[in-house]
Amino acid sequence: MSEHLYYPVNDFGPLMKGLVIGGLAITHVFLAMFAIGGGMLMCYFQWLSQNGRCRNTRRFIDDYFRVLVLISFVVGAVTGVALWFTSIQVSAPTIGMMVDEFHWIWAIEWTFFSLEITAGYCFYRYASNLNDRTRLTLLGIYSLASWFSLFWVNGILTWQLTPGAWVENGSVWSGMFNAGFFPSVIFRTITAMTVASLAGCVVINAMPGLSRDERTELINRAAHFLAPMLLMPLLGIWYFSTFPPDARALVLGANVPMMMFMGLAIGASLLIGLYAMLGLLRKKLYINGATATLLLTLSFAAVAGSEFVREGVRKPYTIRTALYSNSVRPNEIEHLRQVGCVTDDPYPLQNPDDYPNDQLRLGAKVFRFHCSVCHTVNGANALTHLAGSWSTTQKRMNIAQLQRTKTFMPPFAGTPKELEAVVQFISWHTADAPNTWSETNDAEALRQIRDWLDEVGTKPGIELELHAEQGGGQ
Amino acid sequence: MNEVFPFGLEGPTAFYLVLYLSTLLIHIVFMNYVLAGSAYLAAHSVFRGRTNDESPLAELLRDWMPFMLSAAITAGIAPLLFLQVLYQERFYTANLLLFSRWMAILPVLIAGFYLSYLLKSKLVHRWPLAARAAVGCGTFACFAFVGWSWVENHLLSVQGHETWEKEYVAGTLLYHNPELLPRLTLWFLAAFPTMALVVGWQLWYRHGRNIAANEPVPNIAGSRRTAVIAVAGIISSTLVAVAYFWLMKSDVRDAITSPLAFPYLVMAIVGGVIQLGAWVPQYLTARLSTKWLIVCTAGLAINFIGMAVVNEATRLAVLDITKLYAKHRRAYEVGGFFLFALFLAINSGLMLYCLRLVRHGWQAAPKDGD
Repeated sequence: MSEHLYYPVNDFGPLMKGLVIGGLAITHVFLAMFAIGGGMLMCYFQWLSQNGRCRNTRRFIDDYFRVLVLISFVVGAVTGVALWFTSIQVSAPTIGMMVDEFHWIWAIEWTFFSLEITAGYCFYRYASNLNDRTRLTLLGIYSLASWFSLFWVNGILTWQLTPGAWVENGSVWSGMFNAGFFPSVIFRTITAMTVASLAGCVVINAMPGLSRDERTELINRAAHFLAPMLLMPLLGIWYFSTFPPDARALVLGANVPMMMFMGLAIGASLLIGLYAMLGLLRKKLYINGATATLLLTLSFAAVAGSEFVREGVRKPYTIRTALYSNSVRPNEIEHLRQVGCVTDDPYPLQNPDDYPNDQLRLGAKVFRFHCSVCHTVNGANALTHLAGSWSTTQKRMNIAQLQRTKTFMPPFAGTPKELEAVVQFISWHTADAPNTWSETNDAEALRQIRDWLDEVGTKPGIELELHAEQGGGQ
Repeated sequence: MNEVFPFGLEGPTAFYLVLYLSTLLIHIVFMNYVLAGSAYLAAHSVFRGRTNDESPLAELLRDWMPFMLSAAITAGIAPLLFLQVLYQERFYTANLLLFSRWMAILPVLIAGFYLSYLLKSKLVHRWPLAARAAVGCGTFACFAFVGWSWVENHLLSVQGHETWEKEYVAGTLLYHNPELLPRLTLWFLAAFPTMALVVGWQLWYRHGRNIAANEPVPNIAGSRRTAVIAVAGIISSTLVAVAYFWLMKSDVRDAITSPLAFPYLVMAIVGGVIQLGAWVPQYLTARLSTKWLIVCTAGLAINFIGMAVVNEATRLAVLDITKLYAKHRRAYEVGGFFLFALFLAINSGLMLYCLRLVRHGWQAAPKDGD
């Protein structure tokens, strides 16, 4: 019996599983940023109110907090839990390993989240009847708690890409305070301030009964929270420098979608930054609701782009050096190449009668185990589109040496027979799934596949690439 | 298992189980309030009055429902975390088998959240009866769906591979189990005494806390009904629990009456009796008294602890927990517990401080420019 733990695998149809979790993660992160930055922004306005430096601040705070509670406390809280559940659907072993390693960090984060909700609701319910000092204290506790939620979760997220010394010593603290931790947490704090400021401009425009001057005054104050954006380029470079070289290469051109999403994040941030520095901070311009909404949308695009990149550059891993994106551990590959990756899979196919022969049924199981987490058959990132035009020999070799075909792909973890089955599975689908399909039984082809597998070995492509750079490649 | 829970278990497993159950109990308080409260509001929106004045209970429940739901979700995170440490494979497998039907609890929760806000708003009071009833029943339906999904998930998670494989191939997204209905009914009915107690304390805080002992006993509106709800919940849930007990497989029944869980079964019964004994005088005097509410709270706490362990014993009866010892030991070895304990203490203190701040920082609402 293999050590690999098998879970039932669901078919998301034409949707790529990564897109589902990516979409949810982006929504959750954006709402979390809104909540974190929102707390800081309201502390600032409360301070302005107490010192008589700005009119209408108290009203703004109460209106802003109502939006925060109705959107962030509701959708934000539920999407947070949803991320766990969706992660289970996409890759149960990944979230399982994260929970095993970091459950105390999550438990700590939970204590801060509970404090955030308590302080937030106290303010939401009773703020209009509280004195200034109490309001400021509650807002301060709320802000601190929400920022610390970010602090702890940030450690887990950055660990996935840069686990650092955790790989050797298994220490949760080495994993938590990894190379990417500090640049990421500062970068995210500034992002949160930006999102909060732009959301503030939308709320200010939605407040009834204010004159244009009064709105401008509030908007100019909210725009102060955009000033730290000046540091973003430096922080971005610092954060980027902590990426492993292969991950950097993905963003710098090795993977076109990754490069485009990085471009989207930088471009959108740049546009917001320029407008903020020149228009809002230097010239103290007024912006109307439409412009504010557009800028907020741009900030969503920037968050979406950067989160996509953060998720994407981990390839071929979900947890670097510990778990591949298809939930296979690096030390399992050799074993699975001997015994087969689906030999011990207890879950049968849901639709075995759809396939004309046993080889295709085996291919379908191998696809489910090996590929379905990132690929579909005919939908997004479809195998028939990516490999449909390859010749049979090309398919055999490219899949056998998958990590060499694309360095962000994991090594193939199955027997030659399983590999041949998945080759036939792709070819059959590319041929529009005809009713009859002959099984291949070519001993020479299987021997050739074994040779290719042995030649490339079980190391990930990114390590082969380093090896080639050092003059050892074939 | 021949020792009382958690002593017969290996250290790390016992530790995580105790943590899981402790945090689960906090979650259940809020969850019960939401489930039973939304059921009460649904019934109220269909059968009863047009204004808040006619029902202080409905007014309170409407007012607090969104916060209680938020608290239920927040408090649910910790037991969900420890559940994953304890029964990872089983919990994940059940999630995956129920797939989109399980994932539907997330949009349904969001819908329930917004409906509870809508129910609280003044706008709804101007709507025709049918629309108000739809909002009330819709809110309850959302939370009932979530409850049903959790029960289904639990029942599927305690099955073996044979059932899982069958369910996977069938791909029906619904898991039929004869225990589903009695279990769900038990959870639902047992939610009412908790809701009644929390509402009782809320009514007491609002109307009765400043009454001196030598003053005439005031009739607090809603106190009789609160007591009736609690007593009805205790009696009906006990009857369902007895019926459910006889529906269980014999090995599960044996686990409940074994040394592992029997003392807790006794605790659950004693807790129920204490609650009954404390609600009756409050019904008769139509007054929520500090003394009897404290007794009720103690009874509920004893009942909760008893029921939580009995419930866990039904899970332990169908799986070989010793096979998970190594995994729990490994989880126990990762660092962070002491920092968690420290922050739990600090942040719990800060939560109490927030409540204190609100009490002491009260003043007449100033306006901008004051």
